[in-house]
Amino acid sequence: MTSENTAASARTAHPGEHPGEGEHGGGSAETTLLVRRPGPGERDPVRAHRRRRAIELSLALAVPAALILLWQLAADQRWIDSRIYPAPSTIAADGWQRAADGKLWPDVWATLKRVVAGYALGTAAGYLFGLLMGALRMVRAALEPLLDALYVVPKLALLPVFLNMFGLGEGPQIALVATTVFFFVWISTMAAVMGVAEGHREAGQVFGAGPWQMFRHVLLPASLPQVLVGMRVAAGVAVLVIVASEQIAANDGLGHLIFDSRTLFQNDVMFVGIVCVAVLGVVFSELVRFIGRRLTPWAPRDRGRPQS
Amino acid sequence: MARTPSLARALLTGVTLLGVLGSLAACDAQTSDSARSGTRGKPRPITPVAGCAKGWTDPSDRSAARRPARCASGAPAPKPLKKRTKVIVSASTLTAEYLAPLRIGVAKGEFSKEKLDVEVKLLPTPDALPLLAKGDIDVQYAAPEAAVLNGIRQGFDIRWVAGNFTPAPGSKSGFWARLRPGDTAGGVSLKDRTVGTLIGKGSVITYPMAKVLSAHKADLDSVRFQQLGPAEVLTSLKNGGVDAAWLLDPVWRQVDGDTGYAFLGGQPRGEPLGGLLFGPDLLTGNPDAGVAFLRAYIRTVNTYFAGDYKKDRAFLDDLGDVLKTGPDTLAAVPSLRMDWEIRAGTVDRLQKAYAAAGVVEGDPLPEDQVVDRSFYAEAVGHN
Repeated sequence: MTSENTAASARTAHPGEHPGEGEHGGGSAETTLLVRRPGPGERDPVRAHRRRRAIELSLALAVPAALILLWQLAADQRWIDSRIYPAPSTIAADGWQRAADGKLWPDVWATLKRVVAGYALGTAAGYLFGLLMGALRMVRAALEPLLDALYVVPKLALLPVFLNMFGLGEGPQIALVATTVFFFVWISTMAAVMGVAEGHREAGQVFGAGPWQMFRHVLLPASLPQVLVGMRVAAGVAVLVIVASEQIAANDGLGHLIFDSRTLFQNDVMFVGIVCVAVLGVVFSELVRFIGRRLTPWAPRDRGRPQS
Repeated sequence: MARTPSLARALLTGVTLLGVLGSLAACDAQTSDSARSGTRGKPRPITPVAGCAKGWTDPSDRSAARRPARCASGAPAPKPLKKRTKVIVSASTLTAEYLAPLRIGVAKGEFSKEKLDVEVKLLPTPDALPLLAKGDIDVQYAAPEAAVLNGIRQGFDIRWVAGNFTPAPGSKSGFWARLRPGDTAGGVSLKDRTVGTLIGKGSVITYPMAKVLSAHKADLDSVRFQQLGPAEVLTSLKNGGVDAAWLLDPVWRQVDGDTGYAFLGGQPRGEPLGGLLFGPDLLTGNPDAGVAFLRAYIRTVNTYFAGDYKKDRAFLDDLGDVLKTGPDTLAAVPSLRMDWEIRAGTVDRLQKAYAAAGVVEGDPLPEDQVVDRSFYAEAVGHN
């Protein structure tokens, strides 16, 4: 950007072209006019976009690849103790073997089920509460202090409460994820609804929109992009919290796999679990982003080619 | 203005990550070198120790009536090291009664007499084990759990060098079941029932648990294990969350005498299942300090824990102070029989149970790769 801006030529303007300059310009009658030469992004936007995407993609792949290679090298050269930090090749081989033997999938599936169920419940509840509290001042006045207080409670601290409420089954895990997700979605939804421009609402009222039409045609499209940002953040946090929860009170799942293998001093298996959690988190978060893009084609995109 | 900073940021992130990994590699190289450096030397000369004529028993004797090895009070006498040495000991709890010889030994200055500065750190076993393997911790007060055997199998220099205790005859610490209508203590079937456990299948408790299960029409595969926190084990047993659970001292007192529960069995009477693990620093780096550590530990047992140590009210108060537990709570359960010796075959039996539970892989390790009796043998002068 800098190079594009500095490639400029100067022209001399005639005196009097800009009224008032003579009065405040200390007697100078000339004004410098900068004319910017168009950069590659403007001359050929498609090519420039492709080039930038290629660089971004290369960096996105090259940095992790370099780190993994360095890790492998460090393990091979014994710069690190590969018994404590297994080499990437060992982790990959072990993960492949566990997947082929069918030992990995039950844990992946158990975690996935809990995340999806908890996420769906938490998102639905968070959106509903956010919508009501954002749109109705009285509801906000009634519930906001209470929810604010609950928001700051570490969600993992609620696990014993959920264990008492739901017993030892899936209930506590799903409830924990749902509670965590709820707060992210509630806050982003409420803020988004409150942030809808007054002009948009007035436009709806001018056209005689009823409550449903106001929601459908004004509040929903205006707030959805920000709601989806909250949902995407919540997706990552959902994976994070379920892994922590499974370490404490579950007999399966990736969190249990990590904890159990750590307890048994099986570092290679532990790293397989960690990698699976990372992949699950990325996939889940990207899935929410993908769905979000499809639902809100009018919203600015946070990655890729900017919309004109 | 957006493109250049984002590229720079990505590069900066990459370089930072590379730097962090490089630093990690450098740090770990130091510890891993120390962890790998040790090799066992020649057998050390052992000389008889005054007062320790009965300081050794036949390792193959597992009878419940076996009297644990004992020296005279105050024996073995201190042999201070040439220079003061710091020893870091980790334990997953600092209040358990089986830890009393270590805590009392420190409090009464028995380790100082050997010129040892003992620092006891509270660390969960899974966190402590890698540190022991790397040499950051010298001694771990734990047990030859599946994790320890997995670590030894991976080539870490760790050995079980001393036992801890066997339960007193009156103790009912162990496997308790909630009786269903029509159940009797002798006829409880545990098949397809849920068992609450603190640690999981990789614990040494798996071995006595497997014995109890086999006596009650079940095995490790036919019951469901539910891992629970210390506070939840008894609650879950009482509210029906689990059908059976391993209850420790003094928790079992709360169901003892209640006809709704039955004690099905506990730790074998004559066989310690835990104790002291040494890492590379004491095994090969400074074995003199290793022997001195065990000498102080054994002297503490002989001086303060030789018999029913809870009869002495003044000592019970001392014990309560170091364990941060009320003397009355301590007095509610019988005295443990402190036992520093390791029985022959315990490791084999543990490995058999671990294999049945599916928590270890590969061939069983020979006992001499797990157990090292030479430190306590030297401390009591047994040739």
